[in-house]
Amino acid sequence: MVDFSHLTKAYKKKVVVDDFTLSVDVPIFGFLGQNGAGKTTIMKMIVGLLEPTSGTITIDGALSSHPIFKKKLGYMPETPYFYERMTGMEFLRFCDELFDNNNSGANPAARTKHYEDILKKVGIFGARNAEIRTYSKGMRQRLGFAQALVNDPEYLFLDEPLDGLDPIGRREMKEVMLTLKHEGRKIFLNTHILADVEEICEEVGIVHKGKLLYAGSVKAFCAGKPLEERFMEVVEAHERAEIGAAQTAHETPTAAK
Amino acid sequence: MRNIFIIAKNTLKLEIRDKILYGIIVFGLLYIFFMLFLADLVLKEPAMVKAFGLTGIYFFNAIIALFLGTTSFFKDVDRKVVYFILSKPVSRAQFLLGKFFGLCMVLLLTSAILGVAYVGVVLFEHAGFDWIGLVAILMQFLEMALFLAFAIFVSTFSSSLLSIVYTSGVFFLGHIVSQLVADAKAIGLGGFKLLFVEILYYIFPNLEKFDARDLAIHAVATPWTSFGLAVAYAAVYITLLLTAAVWVFDKKEI
Repeated sequence: MVDFSHLTKAYKKKVVVDDFTLSVDVPIFGFLGQNGAGKTTIMKMIVGLLEPTSGTITIDGALSSHPIFKKKLGYMPETPYFYERMTGMEFLRFCDELFDNNNSGANPAARTKHYEDILKKVGIFGARNAEIRTYSKGMRQRLGFAQALVNDPEYLFLDEPLDGLDPIGRREMKEVMLTLKHEGRKIFLNTHILADVEEICEEVGIVHKGKLLYAGSVKAFCAGKPLEERFMEVVEAHERAEIGAAQTAHETPTAAK
Repeated sequence: MRNIFIIAKNTLKLEIRDKILYGIIVFGLLYIFFMLFLADLVLKEPAMVKAFGLTGIYFFNAIIALFLGTTSFFKDVDRKVVYFILSKPVSRAQFLLGKFFGLCMVLLLTSAILGVAYVGVVLFEHAGFDWIGLVAILMQFLEMALFLAFAIFVSTFSSSLLSIVYTSGVFFLGHIVSQLVADAKAIGLGGFKLLFVEILYYIFPNLEKFDARDLAIHAVATPWTSFGLAVAYAAVYITLLLTAAVWVFDKKEI
């Protein structure tokens, strides 16, 4: 179970995540929102790359930034960047070595097989010994996914995992996610592509300007309408409510005079 | 410690694949082998040959330290490669220290390559095995490690280009600051001007403490007290710089 309690992140006076409270306990959960909605900031706070201004994130009761929890998570950043002169295989080995419980020293052959299995799973086994600088955008995306699996994580946090993939690649990655779900792993993904969410997520969180507008099942949210239509309705209703509140705040001092 | 070692090892592995580094080393070696021709020009005068060689090693290592110190750490943060590393059980301090020690290993390696070439050329010129020159190269390495620590510290809060400017400035001031104080006292400077020069002296590292080249050129061994003092000075200064770098990096929004 992942709990967000009054999570807030502000850069000086600009609030990018605003009093975010949510509990998630489903196999695949999707944060859905426009670019700049605050999804990446939330994910970076979960994995300990950013400190919240206030509020907490706990996973199974422990703070998510705790080093012990980090051993149980896999994270794929948005538009991943790599050490260009490494090969895909070397990069996985390097990432794996950063976990001190991987037994890589004790059984290097078994670990090599583990890396090969991951690379086969994400479809870049053939390029395992090529330098990353020769990889296409889609291959980089797959390697970013692969490194998130290297420690057999219980929780996976994927930031726009299907960006830059061709239709076949998207299909393959979705299948990998469903396989991981059946293995008992919990997946959080950020996306602005509605079709992905509809297809693989049990629940969604609609994030807009750092606020959580809705959290719950995709089916209940859609209520028989297409997801895109419902998403626009909710976002526009929020925009109207914000404008109304701003107008009221502007008129109130005048009325008081 | 384990994570620091893994990041240091990875940094060494990556940097030695860099073609720019190879280019600098190749030019360094060509420069040292040029001593063979220079020796004939200066009538086989060993002091001239050694001066030429040790200065060359110093110059090329300074270029490598400036290049690595101002780009390696900054690139990892700027290009967000750190996201992969820091989302794993690795602290920011471990990452920064791993980068520092990895870059030190690269410098140690380049010092060793250029040092072996230097000793070989000096031997070839029948000037004997120059172990005093090797001590001078070791002291140069300490200076470069300090230089690296400063470059990494500056990289935690400024861009790569600005780091080059700041680090070069410190390199320059670090070599003249002790002379500045001595000159200021010699000409009877007082009041605010002397205070300003003394403040500079205490803020900037005194890099002259690592210069054992003049002694080595004349085959005079560096006193162990000077060597020990240089090691202690480098250790204290590097510790302070890295502590400050970790403090700044810990607070940085990445």
